[in-house]
Amino acid sequence: MRERQPPRGLLLACLLLLSGCTLSPLARNTAQFSSATSSVVENTRNAYRAAVRLNEDAQYSLLVARYDTDHPLDPHSIRPLIDEKGLEVRTEVLDGLRVYAQTIADLSSGVSSPKLDEAAAACGANLRSLGDALSGATPVTLKISGTEANAASTALKALGDLLIKREIKESIPKIIRDMDPNVDTLTKLLSSDIDVLRDQAGRDYEQILAQQDQFIRHAGSSLPPVERRTEIQRLPQILADKKATEDMLRDLQASLQKLAVTHHALAAAATTRNDASLQARIADLRASAEGLADFYESLSKSK
Amino acid sequence: MSPSKSSTKLPLQAPAMPSAATAAEVSSETSSGTPAPLPPALMNPDTIEIYKTLYDVLGRVYWEASDITSKDTIQGARDAIYEILTELNIAKLEANTALFLALKTKILDSNKALEEIKVKINTITKNISTASSVLAAIAKVASIAPALL
Repeated sequence: MRERQPPRGLLLACLLLLSGCTLSPLARNTAQFSSATSSVVENTRNAYRAAVRLNEDAQYSLLVARYDTDHPLDPHSIRPLIDEKGLEVRTEVLDGLRVYAQTIADLSSGVSSPKLDEAAAACGANLRSLGDALSGATPVTLKISGTEANAASTALKALGDLLIKREIKESIPKIIRDMDPNVDTLTKLLSSDIDVLRDQAGRDYEQILAQQDQFIRHAGSSLPPVERRTEIQRLPQILADKKATEDMLRDLQASLQKLAVTHHALAAAATTRNDASLQARIADLRASAEGLADFYESLSKSK
Repeated sequence: MSPSKSSTKLPLQAPAMPSAATAAEVSSETSSGTPAPLPPALMNPDTIEIYKTLYDVLGRVYWEASDITSKDTIQGARDAIYEILTELNIAKLEANTALFLALKTKILDSNKALEEIKVKINTITKNISTASSVLAAIAKVASIAPALL
């Protein structure tokens, strides 16, 4: 029986060559973009809900104010600020953007897939079993040591990583570039919506404020003093809510602009071949090598 | 100015908007259900700005007014302007809905392309699994080979 230990340094050097250039900068950028997108999507969804509800409140307030006048509001005439179809398509588009961002992040960082690790480990173990079986059943002596089987598994993982990275490198940047104008249009469109929501929300609050004031004044002394006091105290609270909503919508618009800029940068980085500095490339290469070394170590410990 | 009835829908058409909604066709329906053009005055963005300014000015006047009758009159006028401006905003958002619909297809197409890449990547892993299974099968056959020979 012949067993020999392959030099560890040589093995890792070979694996580094096999694994090729890492896509970690892309993975980092896409992960950041995905995280920012998720937050913007959730905030935008909340903004739509809040704006529609606020407008309903303002219209209901008007309905009450006009109820006993000679020109009452017909409840049938109350329309939502954004109808169901409008909200649905906006939700679908926002979900689509979130899925896009999450998928490019997953694909870009998903090189160390547990399934690939599992398949590569099984391959090495089966190779060893094959050697044992052949040695026992035929005159051919093919004894594969545990170390050699682990090395084979690690090499297979590196090969898998390489093929996956190549697939990602060839496909993802193009999709990001193609998507860039769509993200730009989408963020502008969302921002255009927010312009309208800001404009409307300001007046909705003003309406609610004036209707509340009129309610208090018309009620006069029919309101018990404590209740009257409570109702009057609602007036500044309405103004505080108005300001908070305005701030929230303004911040959301700023986030949308940042999202577009981030995606532009992502598309530019995906287009430029030499976007990363040499140091960054070396660091990424080292990270990749450490990943493979960890995998090798995990196999050795499990034996 | 007396407040208008809210049940009367305004015959709206998109004013020139400095937004993505500019290109979209905006219309509103009259009571007969057919789209009607905006009154020319409301097609001018300056007119809309004047309405907004008027609403704000009337708001200040409302809070300065001391008697409830004046306040009612002023707020009645504000309500009418509020309804006009709300209808315009609803129309703008409806116009944007059409643009969102057009964009939805493009985003879904990108996600479809990403799904295809996922499938390709899974195939790579699957191929390594297949190689592993083949090795296991050969090993099994080899282990029973002495009995066959």
